[in-house]
Amino acid sequence: MFDIDWWSLALPFGYIFVLGSSLYVFSTIYRKRKAAESANLAPWFPPHLQKEIYSTLLELDADKDRKTKVPEGVIRAALLRRAVEDIARIIQVRQAKQALNTLLQRGSVGEDLNQRFQRAEKEIEEELKDVVMEANALAPGWGQTIFQSANEIAANTVLRSRIDNIQNKAAAEKEWWEKRRETIQNDFMKELEEEPVKGSAKVSSDDDAVLVDSSTPITTPSKKKKGKK
Amino acid sequence: MAATEEYFDLLPLGLDPATKAVTAPSGASKALHAELAALNNLHRSILTLEVSPQIPPPPIPVNPKRSAQITKLKDGGNDFYRKGKHGEALKMYHLGITMALGRPLWEPQGLVREEVSQLFANRAQAHMALQNWAEGAVDAEASVEAKRAGNAKAWWRRGKCLLEMGRLDEAHEWVGHGLEMEGEEQELLALQQEVVARLEKKSQREEAVIKAGGEKA
Repeated sequence: MFDIDWWSLALPFGYIFVLGSSLYVFSTIYRKRKAAESANLAPWFPPHLQKEIYSTLLELDADKDRKTKVPEGVIRAALLRRAVEDIARIIQVRQAKQALNTLLQRGSVGEDLNQRFQRAEKEIEEELKDVVMEANALAPGWGQTIFQSANEIAANTVLRSRIDNIQNKAAAEKEWWEKRRETIQNDFMKELEEEPVKGSAKVSSDDDAVLVDSSTPITTPSKKKKGKK
Repeated sequence: MAATEEYFDLLPLGLDPATKAVTAPSGASKALHAELAALNNLHRSILTLEVSPQIPPPPIPVNPKRSAQITKLKDGGNDFYRKGKHGEALKMYHLGITMALGRPLWEPQGLVREEVSQLFANRAQAHMALQNWAEGAVDAEASVEAKRAGNAKAWWRRGKCLLEMGRLDEAHEWVGHGLEMEGEEQELLALQQEVVARLEKKSQREEAVIKAGGEKA
């Protein structure tokens, strides 16, 4: 029979044990870290304020202790606002997608950015389904049109804010022009007074050019002033 | 989906019992207040709906009432303008613009752009007739913002206003953009030539002034 010399085998067994346990420790730690990393990935979008408002309103409505019920109109409006924000997010995701893919192919951005993006994409998909379901629950058939309405609301809001920005400049522009016109008028009067004093032919001919130019805007507004009064 | 619905931050919202407006305590963030203002506005415009249940209808078809009123105001303004009553025309256009921008937000924005661009362009024209160059320039810019292509008149009007105010560089740039958008529009080209001529004159004059100054010294 073989007589196993356990003591001489201790070394190889010990080697295998150390190898195996170190691999195990490495893999568990590595996996844990990876999981923690992906859990801690910054979200693509900031918190969904509109969604929180909508959920809070539903909670308020469900709360039976309170006497004031949340009117349905408010809840509908809140859902519509939520849909509008979703539209903005979808547009953002779609625009980012192409750029991100190109960057990924070139290797200019890291994998974690891609993971964040894919999570955002999934979230927005779920969010859309959720909104459609909620809309159908509030009013039958609304789910089909709520995003059309939300789309127009988003576009209209942008348009109005741009036009408002332009129109808000009107007062300042007007003020600037009034001042400017006065200075032009004063310069014009001064030049008229100085005119006979100046003798040099060349300079006065240049001044003539000034007069012709500045007189067109000056004389006409003064006419208008008279006309208004 | 379950994961996202399990938890959310309950916001400190309240409801005004009289107006049914959603309110937040004054300590809340600015963004929340802005959002609630938008929400309450939207709620108010939903309440004006005459359909039951009160949900915003799809963008098309449009309620024809408002369109008819806007067209009426615009035509009224045009009539006044033709008769030379520019002040009255301005009022009409102003009402029309307020009405067009006051459309409920869920109505098609393309329609709003179309109406508003015409009204602003017409109001710019009325301002120009009264020689209010500053207001004319602003209105024409708003018109272009609402409708960039196929709006040569508005491009021309702002260019003209800038020229009249002596803002030659701005006028040059603006009309240049206009020519890019509209192609070789005859009036725009003529205006651009005028602007360039004025610019040249100005630079010549400045040179002369510098020369004269040098001679004196």
